[in-house]
Amino acid sequence: MQDVAVVGIGLSKHVSKRRDVNIAELVYEAVSAAYEDTGLSPHDIGAVITGNMPAFEGVNLPELWGAGHWGAYNKPLLRITTGGTTGGSVVHGAFYAVASGIFDAVIAIAFEKQSDGDTTMGLNTVALADIAPMLLYGADPTLLISMGGGAIGAVAYQATSYMKSSGCTTHHLDKVAAMCRDNAAKNPYAHLQQPGITPEEVAKTKMMEYPLRFGHCCPATDGACAMIITSGEKAKKITDCPAYIKSCTSCSDEGAVFGLYGGGTANVDPCEQEGCKIAAKKAYELAGIKDPSREIDVAEPYAPFANQLLMFYERLLLCEEGGAPAVLDSGSMYLDGDLPVCPSGGVISTNAIGASAMERVAECAMQIMGKAGEHQVKKEVHNAVAHGWGGALNLIVVAVLGDTPRG
Amino acid sequence: MEKKVAVVGYAQTRYEPDSDASREILVLEVAEGALKSAGITRDDVDTVITANNDYLDGRTISNMRLVEPAGAWLKDESKVEMDGAYAALYAMMRILSGDHDVALVIGVGQASVYATYIPGIMTLDPTFDRERGLLNEVSAAALQARAYMNAYGITEEHIAEVSVKNLRNAALNPLALRQMPDLTTDEVLDSRMLYSPVRELNAFPPSDGACGVVLASADKVPGITGNPAWIRGVGFSHDSYLTERPLHKLESLKLAAESAYAMADIADPKEEIGLAEIHENFAHEELMAYEALGFCGQGKGGELMQSGATRIDGELPVNPSGGALSANAACAVGLARITEATMQVRGEAGERQVQGVTTALAHGQTGPCAQENIVFILGGE
Repeated sequence: MQDVAVVGIGLSKHVSKRRDVNIAELVYEAVSAAYEDTGLSPHDIGAVITGNMPAFEGVNLPELWGAGHWGAYNKPLLRITTGGTTGGSVVHGAFYAVASGIFDAVIAIAFEKQSDGDTTMGLNTVALADIAPMLLYGADPTLLISMGGGAIGAVAYQATSYMKSSGCTTHHLDKVAAMCRDNAAKNPYAHLQQPGITPEEVAKTKMMEYPLRFGHCCPATDGACAMIITSGEKAKKITDCPAYIKSCTSCSDEGAVFGLYGGGTANVDPCEQEGCKIAAKKAYELAGIKDPSREIDVAEPYAPFANQLLMFYERLLLCEEGGAPAVLDSGSMYLDGDLPVCPSGGVISTNAIGASAMERVAECAMQIMGKAGEHQVKKEVHNAVAHGWGGALNLIVVAVLGDTPRG
Repeated sequence: MEKKVAVVGYAQTRYEPDSDASREILVLEVAEGALKSAGITRDDVDTVITANNDYLDGRTISNMRLVEPAGAWLKDESKVEMDGAYAALYAMMRILSGDHDVALVIGVGQASVYATYIPGIMTLDPTFDRERGLLNEVSAAALQARAYMNAYGITEEHIAEVSVKNLRNAALNPLALRQMPDLTTDEVLDSRMLYSPVRELNAFPPSDGACGVVLASADKVPGITGNPAWIRGVGFSHDSYLTERPLHKLESLKLAAESAYAMADIADPKEEIGLAEIHENFAHEELMAYEALGFCGQGKGGELMQSGATRIDGELPVNPSGGALSANAACAVGLARITEATMQVRGEAGERQVQGVTTALAHGQTGPCAQENIVFILGGE
C-alpha cells in the first residue's frame, strides 16, 4: 500500500447562516484555503472526492452545479455520501484513492449549508419509513412526536441508556458541554464559542428532551472543509510535517432505534455501538497501535450531543466501558490533559453536518502538524483518532492519523 | 493494469416499470444472487459499497436502510451517490489498497416511487436555472441532441436507428424492460415527442431494478472462479455544469476513455475492444459516445451507426443487452453495463452472446447531458 498523508487543510467561516454566499461560494472558501495552505493549485491534483448530506439544502448532487468552482473541471470526481458520517467517508474515499496507487494527490471536500434548507425535515424523511409500519403495529402517536424531533428525539434514548449503564450523571453532560464550548472559543473556525462557560450555566439552559438540555446539543451550521491528501512520497516534498493517515475503517450496524421497518431488529441498544468498537479495533490493528489508551494522544469523537463524547470515548476503546465519566472528572480530557478530547470544540460546538466528520480528521491532522494555534494541545501528538457517526444511529467511520506512516 | 482486481460474480433483477418489491427486497435479491453467482457467502465479503441517490430514494442517508438487505451489517460499508459504475470504482480502489480483498457492490433504482424528471430539476443551479422552469433531464437532453445534430449534420433517422438496434437487442435479454424485436425506424420516429428532437423511444424507460457485482483481489480470485473478468483499466472525469460547456461533444467521456485506455494499454480502441456496453440515457448519447470513445472520428457517430458495425453481428457490437434504453434503474445502470460486459467476456451472455470477446468496455454516467463519465475495460482470463 502506498503511504497516505494530509498535507493541507482549508476551512470556511462557520456560522448559522451564511447569507453572503451560496453553496458553491461557501465551498470555494475552504477549497482555496486548502490550496493556499499547501502552495498547490488544482493542476497538482489528480481527483476530487466530495460529499455533503443529501437533501438538506434542496440541491441534488450539488457538485454538478458547483464543482467547476472548486477546481474539478475535467478532473475525476467521486461523490460519497453517508449521512452524518459523510465527511469521514469522503476522507476514506480520498485515502483509498491514494492508497490504491491510482492517484498521488487528491482533494477531499465536504460541506453543509443548512440555512438553505430544513435539516429536521430532511431527517424526518428517514423516520417516515419507520412511522407508517409503527402506526400499523399500534404504536402510540405521542412516541412518534418525540421521534419527529429529528436527531434529539432519537439520541435522548441513547443518552438515558448510556447514563444507566455507565453512571454518567447530568452534571457530566454539563461538564462535557462546557469543556467543548470553551475549547471552541480558541478555534476561529468554530461556530458556538463560549469562553469560560461553566457547567452550572449549561445546567440552566432549557430542557429539550430529557436528559438533553439546549446547552448539550449541537447548533446547525453553514460551513465547508477541504483537505489535500497525497502519497507519502509527495507529502515530504510539500510539507515538513505531514499528518499520515494510518488507517480508515467503517462499520455499519443494523438500524438502531426501530430497525428496518420497525421489524424487530430494534433490539439493538442505541448506546451499544458495537460498530464503533469493531471499526476502532480494526483501525488500531492496521495502524499498529496496541494500547490505544496509551498510544493515542488526541481524540476527536463525533459528538453532537454531550453524552456521545463520553460514550464514544469508551467505544473507541480509549478506556473501559463505563469509565469515561471518571476520566472526564480526572481532567485528562482537557487541552492540557493526558488524552485531550475534542480540542477543536467538537461537533457540539460546530455542526455543518456533511463536513463534521471530515473536520474531526482535519483537527487530528492539525494537532499532529502542530498547526492548531490556540487550541493546540499541550502534549506532543504522535497519534490521533478521528470518528464519525450517523445513519439511524448505526453508521460509524474511524480514522487513525500519526506523525509517521503505517508501520 | 495487470490482473489485480476481477469481477467474480454478478446478479441483476428483472427490470420492471412498477415492481411489487421494495428497494430493500430488490437489493436483497441481487446481494444474494451476486454472492451465489460467485459461490461465496457473506462471511467472505470484506466491504460493501452501494450506489443510490437520496432524492430518487425519497429518504436521506438512503444507504442506512440498505445495510441489512445488502448483507453489510458489522462490515466496512459505504455509499457512492452516483451511477453504480462509480461504486465499482470505489470498491476496486479499496481492494487495490490491500486493506480489503472481496467487495460486494450494489446499485439500485426504483423509478416508480418518484416523478421521473424531478430529481434532474433538483440538480440545477437553484438560483436561476431551476427557477426558470425550462430545464429538466429530458429538455436538457433535447438541447444536447439538437446541438449535436447541428454541429455534425446528424439526422433524426441516425438517432432512431440507435433505438431500433438497442431495443431489438433487448429482445434477447430476458431481464430487459423494453423488448421490441420487430421495431422499425418509422415506429421510433412516430413515437410520442417529449422535447424535440427527443421522442419517447429515444429516451430511457423509468425502471425499478437492482444490480450487484462481486469484486475480488488477485489473491482471492483463484479460490473463487477459474473464469474471472479482470479490470484492466478504468478512467473517470467530471465536466462543467450544463450551461457552461459545449453540449455537442462528451469531453469528460473522452478524458475518461483516454485514462482507461492508458491503464489497459489500449492503443487502438476500435481494433482492440471487442464489445461495448454504453450507458445511453438517450439514443443520441450513444452516437456521441462512439466519438468520445474513439470508435470513430468526431462527428462520424451517425456514419458508424449506419455502417452496421455496432450491431450485435457487427465488428464492434455496442449494447447487445439492449443498453440503458431498454432498462434504466437509475443507480444500477452502469453496474449493469459492467455485469453485461463481464457476462460477455466470460461467455455467459446466453442468446445475446457475441463470440470471441476477450476485451469489453463498460460505461457509466451521472448528471444531466452525461456530465460525468466513467469507463471500465474488462478482459477475460
